[in-house]
Amino acid sequence: MEPFLQGLAMVFNAQTMLVIVAAAIFGLFVGAIPGLTATMAVALLVPITFYMDSTPAIAAIVATSAMAIFAGDIPGTYLNIPGTPASAAYVGESHLLARKGRARETLGTNLVCSVIGGLFGTLVLVLVSPSLAEVALNFSSFEYFWLALLGLSSSIFIAIGSRLKAFLSLTVGLLLSTVGLDMMSGAPRFTFGIPDLMAGINFIPVMIGMFALNEIMMFYGSRKETRDVPITAKDNVFRQAPRHIRTYWRNILRGSSLGTLIGALPGAGADIAAWIAYALGKSRSKHREAYGTGHIEGIIDASSANNSGISGAWVPALVFGIPGDTITAIVIGVLYMKGMNPGPTIFMEGGSQVYALFTVFFVANLIMLPIGYLAIHASKIFILTPRKILMPVILAFCIVGAFAINNSITDIWIMLVIGLVAFVLARNDFPMAPAILGLVLGGTLENSFMSSMLKSGGDLTSFFSRPISAALGALVILVWLLPLFLRLYRRLRRQPQPQHSPRSS
Amino acid sequence: MKDFLLGLAFLIGGGVVIAVAQTYPTMPTLEFGPSLFPSLIGGGMAIGGALLALSRVRELPAAIRAAGGGLSAYDYRGLLISLVPCGLIVFYILASETLGASLCMALSMLLLMLIRGAKLWMSLAVAIVVAALIYLLFSRYLLIPLPEGTLLSSLTLAW
Repeated sequence: MEPFLQGLAMVFNAQTMLVIVAAAIFGLFVGAIPGLTATMAVALLVPITFYMDSTPAIAAIVATSAMAIFAGDIPGTYLNIPGTPASAAYVGESHLLARKGRARETLGTNLVCSVIGGLFGTLVLVLVSPSLAEVALNFSSFEYFWLALLGLSSSIFIAIGSRLKAFLSLTVGLLLSTVGLDMMSGAPRFTFGIPDLMAGINFIPVMIGMFALNEIMMFYGSRKETRDVPITAKDNVFRQAPRHIRTYWRNILRGSSLGTLIGALPGAGADIAAWIAYALGKSRSKHREAYGTGHIEGIIDASSANNSGISGAWVPALVFGIPGDTITAIVIGVLYMKGMNPGPTIFMEGGSQVYALFTVFFVANLIMLPIGYLAIHASKIFILTPRKILMPVILAFCIVGAFAINNSITDIWIMLVIGLVAFVLARNDFPMAPAILGLVLGGTLENSFMSSMLKSGGDLTSFFSRPISAALGALVILVWLLPLFLRLYRRLRRQPQPQHSPRSS
Repeated sequence: MKDFLLGLAFLIGGGVVIAVAQTYPTMPTLEFGPSLFPSLIGGGMAIGGALLALSRVRELPAAIRAAGGGLSAYDYRGLLISLVPCGLIVFYILASETLGASLCMALSMLLLMLIRGAKLWMSLAVAIVVAALIYLLFSRYLLIPLPEGTLLSSLTLAW
């Protein structure tokens, strides 16, 4: 009981609560401005969290990411432009609702679904992680090798778009992870005689380059600036929400559980969760024909799913140290810096710290209701903040943020080079998530492989000799073969069709 | 066309990575060492790059014909403007020791705002206020040693 009360005390104090409110407002701003993502918000926030205690630091990240994901719906509803990629799946639906004069009702329902989704994901995190951690305590380097490989493989096979490009993006991240002194032999790799690179590439400047500088460059290359809001909203924010929740509680439950599951899969985050939840919701709906015409059911599954995905991504991050999405990839770095090494021991040794972490999730999700309510009323402020003023400010934050991690100019160079590479790759539809996972998991993959080989004297079959290791190995192979199976299944289903459809010409 | 070139870049990059990795020492107890992972990654880059380039070979003649007729259609101006933020980062790296972090940031922000057509008075006000705020937040509150600039201090001394 005492650790629990200590945990509560770590959250319910003036400093942490103030940080949560400030972070939520920051997340609101970044999420509501099209082109700025929740990951970018977190990447920009990290340099500041370095100077906080661990609980407010994590609270800031949780509150920012949860709020940014909801706030992405605001420009989506008013302008038909998603504020973050996680809102893209149902942006058409919510904008059409807004055109019918139901903008605030739509956003109010979005907000309630986001909160329920976030709380659902948090409940799963609280209930599942400790027992999963007990299993993970028995894991050795063999299991961690497969887990890392599973994470990297799913980042390629679950990615939307070309798998080949996702794979190439992954190799970039993996290559970056090899820079620095080799953990086993101590040999320097790809350091080019630069002393700052001996300790490896710090991934905060990489994140800032990949998600912030890249977006700034995209903005200057595009010339687009949306400035008018054609819709005026006078309806009530929460009046219709209880009715919608009663009618569509199954959708909320389905979206939340799907979102948590997809969020927990490495490489797949809130955006993919929203797309899949929207598609599943549509296929199971009784009013399928109403989808795409401004149907409130169309936003419920997906807006629950994207916020539950944010919480779900923390399960593998905390239990195994394997990030579920790009945000938790940053979080893992922050946890290490704060001395809270992610992995099963966090639940054994953490005590009050873990209770504080869980409490932070509940508070950060619940605080979305009042702040979100005010934000819906003040939507125009967020939408009309001109990006031509904001982007230069963000650039200044990028430079100082990258420098602040190690007080090193080298980190600014790293941010610049990575930003340029990411700009070229992103403009040609290469996904960024595999690169980040490669950078974060590359070290785990290599070190667990090398120590396993040293233990087994170079015997590769030992990767299948332990039961959990063998099961994880089989799962990895299954993920690799999945596209082949799917292709075969589609071909088999398509073949008999011509005989049964004589009318087709 | 772009995918073909990017595929080639990955192919060459992968080859370079493998070549550099071969120079790393091997460990005495195992047949492999620090070169194994970089070599595998390099191999992946090279094979993936080759596959990407090959998958676009068929579209290449049409792309070259189209490019021959419409080189000017490519948005070079947009591309150049998108590189301005990078140029300003290099400016910060090179000039911040002399001019100081806050002045460099203010100048960079001002230029970027003016490029996109923001009003001069507003750009000036935002650039100065934000640069001062960032400097205060990071330098005074978070104790990050942002460069103060030798120019300002020498001017003050001279005065």
